[in-house]
Amino acid sequence: MPILPAVVGSLFPEVTSLPIAALLDASLTLWRGKDVLQFIDGLSTNKVTELQSGQLIRTIFTDSNAKIIDCVTLFHMGEFIVTAGHFPFLEKLLKHTSRRILGQDVSITDITQLNELFIEFDCTNDCADIGAFSSEGENTRGNISGNMSLIVSSKGNGPSNLENFEIFNQWRIDNKIPWHGYEITNSFHPFACGLEELVHQQKGCYIGQEILARMHSRGKQGKLLSQVDTLTCKPSSITTMGETQSLAIIRC
Amino acid sequence: MDCGTCDSADPVQMVKPEVIDVNLTISDMAKNMLADAFGDDRSHALLVGVLSGGCSGYMYDLQIVESTDQDCQELSVDGFRVLVPKASSHLLDGIEIDYVEKLMGGGFKINNPNADSSCGCGESFS
Repeated sequence: MPILPAVVGSLFPEVTSLPIAALLDASLTLWRGKDVLQFIDGLSTNKVTELQSGQLIRTIFTDSNAKIIDCVTLFHMGEFIVTAGHFPFLEKLLKHTSRRILGQDVSITDITQLNELFIEFDCTNDCADIGAFSSEGENTRGNISGNMSLIVSSKGNGPSNLENFEIFNQWRIDNKIPWHGYEITNSFHPFACGLEELVHQQKGCYIGQEILARMHSRGKQGKLLSQVDTLTCKPSSITTMGETQSLAIIRC
Repeated sequence: MDCGTCDSADPVQMVKPEVIDVNLTISDMAKNMLADAFGDDRSHALLVGVLSGGCSGYMYDLQIVESTDQDCQELSVDGFRVLVPKASSHLLDGIEIDYVEKLMGGGFKINNPNADSSCGCGESFS
């Protein structure tokens, strides 16, 4: 796998001092075969066919109602693709995808148990580095957005000095960032979660595309991710609870 | 990252659909169009396959080929060689290959009794 220039001098926080939280419910799968990118492109919202070795991209598998099956990060490792997603959604994702492989050259291996995933947050990643990843020893660090990086480490080799996940959640509330299992669930479509940037408007058809294209063209997205006052918002609408502010997906 | 290159991780078990003997028909209109396309050379075959993708999850894949590396059933239908990949046989049994003329251009159309739904353009089904 190619080694790209490290983004901040080193992969790990001894240098950057940025907060990192463990993603205890993340999944990691390895996808092999010459048809993998075309296959994923045909079933998910983002255009992934142009992904190159050393790059990552996020995309969302949706069902026929455009509801989220899983939002995943694809790492192009050269010989294969590694996909990071949400473990509670993995079974449904594999059921959704594996029955559609038919004669295409695609095989999937679950490597979740061999690895640990972490999220580094409150970063200031350069725009040019978003979508790039680099590896150092047993660790791979990829910039999934301007303020978050995903770290994948082989079991027992991850960063130390981790933050409590609640700190990450509070940061998400402050920055209105949706997350797996909270906002990113099968109850919502990508627009409701604030994941518009993962829905490519010019790519070909995929399951759920007609609904998302119609929402986009009509400008009607129904419920939207919002910061709300914890005390006054209807509790059942809250997706991530904070002390004073929370995240909720509500009709605006 | 540990990618399991020492085979320490097991592959996910894929759903392997049952391979069935496919029966399909070709409408008169489609036969005429295929006859034009093939000409007198019947050494080529019509490959009728299914790919993942499209608005409904599966897309038809029609090609005229000399041969294919896919594992196929070979049928002879009204004098035409037809190849159907075994991996898609459960989705294609009983189909009718039709040809429709439209003001915006005609094309082959698959009438598929196995499809629960299809998208507006008719290329995709589930």
